[in-house]
Amino acid sequence: MNHSTTASGTSRSLEVSTEAVEAEIRDRADPRQVLADRVAHLYRQMPVAIGATFIAGAIATYELQGRFLQELVLFWWAIVVVFSVAASVLLYAYRRSPDKLSSAPDWLRWLAIAALGNGASWGLAGGVFFRALSDEHQVFLGFLFAGMACVGVPVYAASWPIFALYAAGILAPFCYVLLTYGNRLFVEIALLVPLFYALNVVIAYRLTQVFLSGYRLRHAYGKLTEDHRALNQRLERQLLELEEARRQVEASGRKLALFAERAPIAVLELQPDGTVSEVNHAAEILFGYAAAELVGGHVRKLVRAEFHPEFDRIWEELIAKRESMAGLKIRNPRRDGIDLICEWTVTPLVNFRQEVIAIIAQGRDVTAQLEAERMKKEFTSTLSHELRTPLTSIIGSLQLINSGVMGEVDKEVGELTVVAERNGQRLLDLINDLLDIEKIESGKLTLAPELIALDDLVREAIVLNQAFGERFNVRFESRGELPGRHVLADRKRLLQVMTNLLSNAAKFSPDGGVVEISTEDAGANLRVAVHDRGTGIPEAFRGRIFGRFTQADSTATRQKGGSGLGLAICKRLIELMHGRIGFENRAGGGATFWFELPRRSAA
Amino acid sequence: MPDRPLTRICYVEDDEDIQRIVRMSLERVGKMTVEVVTDPTQALQTFAEFRPDLVMLDWMMPVLDGPALFRQMKLRPETSALPVVFITARASQRDLDELKSLGAAGTISKPFSPRDLPEQLRAIWAKLP
Repeated sequence: MNHSTTASGTSRSLEVSTEAVEAEIRDRADPRQVLADRVAHLYRQMPVAIGATFIAGAIATYELQGRFLQELVLFWWAIVVVFSVAASVLLYAYRRSPDKLSSAPDWLRWLAIAALGNGASWGLAGGVFFRALSDEHQVFLGFLFAGMACVGVPVYAASWPIFALYAAGILAPFCYVLLTYGNRLFVEIALLVPLFYALNVVIAYRLTQVFLSGYRLRHAYGKLTEDHRALNQRLERQLLELEEARRQVEASGRKLALFAERAPIAVLELQPDGTVSEVNHAAEILFGYAAAELVGGHVRKLVRAEFHPEFDRIWEELIAKRESMAGLKIRNPRRDGIDLICEWTVTPLVNFRQEVIAIIAQGRDVTAQLEAERMKKEFTSTLSHELRTPLTSIIGSLQLINSGVMGEVDKEVGELTVVAERNGQRLLDLINDLLDIEKIESGKLTLAPELIALDDLVREAIVLNQAFGERFNVRFESRGELPGRHVLADRKRLLQVMTNLLSNAAKFSPDGGVVEISTEDAGANLRVAVHDRGTGIPEAFRGRIFGRFTQADSTATRQKGGSGLGLAICKRLIELMHGRIGFENRAGGGATFWFELPRRSAA
Repeated sequence: MPDRPLTRICYVEDDEDIQRIVRMSLERVGKMTVEVVTDPTQALQTFAEFRPDLVMLDWMMPVLDGPALFRQMKLRPETSALPVVFITARASQRDLDELKSLGAAGTISKPFSPRDLPEQLRAIWAKLP
């Protein structure tokens, strides 16, 4: 019972699968191509149809000759010949047709017309000649009709409607003649003819279905083969790409290994537990160990013992986070016991399961660099404190003497103490400039911006520098005041810029000259300009006027004093305050130095 | 502003040259009475004896530097209200801000001008409550 259920189930599933296969074949086969194939098949059969008609027509004409009106027989023969020629022309046209695929429905239509014409020409013979013939010739003609109808089955098997038209063209007039002949036997034959006709049409229909599925199968197979070939080609291409990719990976692996091997920095490959798997040549040189002494051992060998706990902590973090770390400064003992400080970049390599499989550590010896940084800091600190403290005493003592509070001194002694004080001050200015530029360039200078009325600032700068101007017999004059204009700036630093520009202008002005200071609106900025009547800026000097340690010529330094850092400091200060600074030579001699700062409303 | 003029200054400084200049500046130019302390550990005792109007502290000194001494002063009731001015060559803006917030009356940077020093101190004195 169970068994039979299973069996019937299996057979049903087989049925279903056969239907599915047929449906798939129908889907895959292009119906246009199937039609074109059927049309091609039909045209291939045409010579048979033409030949059969021509030969049978010739025999019939020969037999009917003399038994009928001569002209009528020849007329019919002419029709048969015309049909044969027309069909041949159609066949020729079809064979020459360049596009048999898209025009297949048209060719089918023409063929249907030709088949109907062919059938009808035999039908005409039946209608015209049958009645008047003797018995044996009637049998001959009936036999001929039946034969011609039967020949149509294989000839038009690929399209049963065409066969139906063709056979109807032969048999319908014949059938009519038989029915109306007035002979009982003929009536019975006439009744049998449609039955045979229907049987033949059914056979033709079946054959058409066979052709259809045959051609469908052929095209489905063709398509399948094509798909298969495309798939094959794609696979082949992918295989090639894969192979190429593998080669590239291999090549880049070799390149990488070469990079690591030849790199000037130490490269270590470590296992997740800290065991060294590989080291490059630079690492051997840096730490003084041969590769064999390091490989297989723990990397802690390269870390000072007192830092092991810290090292372990960092290592754990690295393994846990699986993220690259950079800038790790670690004290690494060399083989000879001398400590190096190295900066490390460590990169964990992770597999697709997110497990760390190796760690690449790249180290650079920064001992000398750190030492240089430390020395620079110390130097700066020495400059600022150790040099300024004695200068305080020197300048202070001289100021006390020169101010006269210590009582009168001899005139020539007084002149010398003034010289000493001025040069002490120069030395101090130089130190201050050096400290300033160092501070600015290391980004350590912090500004204290406040809203400043520009006119007030210019006035304050003039007052502050008046004494300096008097030394060079130069007068500062403010021109074109702009009341109520404000900028956001560090007051002390902006005064420093003004002092620089004013003292430069004074130094390079002719004796008894006037330095003019103007303020003006410049778009969204406010511009302060200092104009002198000196010699102007030499062409060769223009490009580097805001550089460090620059002066037009070295004799000027000796004559006028100054570090050559003043304008470099000014430029950086103004830029820190979001402004810009520049200069131009004046028509009629002299130079103009200017700076611009963004205007702010005094809220 | 305090109701009396600034006359008595105590200056804690380890550098004897600068001591001398500051003393001369304040005495000659400023007409003030000056007491100088070389050893900062003795400073608190000197303050108690001399009773200055204002104390000037050098920033960098061995054993006990200016800021440390200042913090000690703040802990003692007899010195906590004394106005303190720092003299310094290298303090960063952050250090100065911190001292201001602790209650320093002012700072004077090295090198200072002995001609102007009395004026600078009087200006700080005038701003005191």
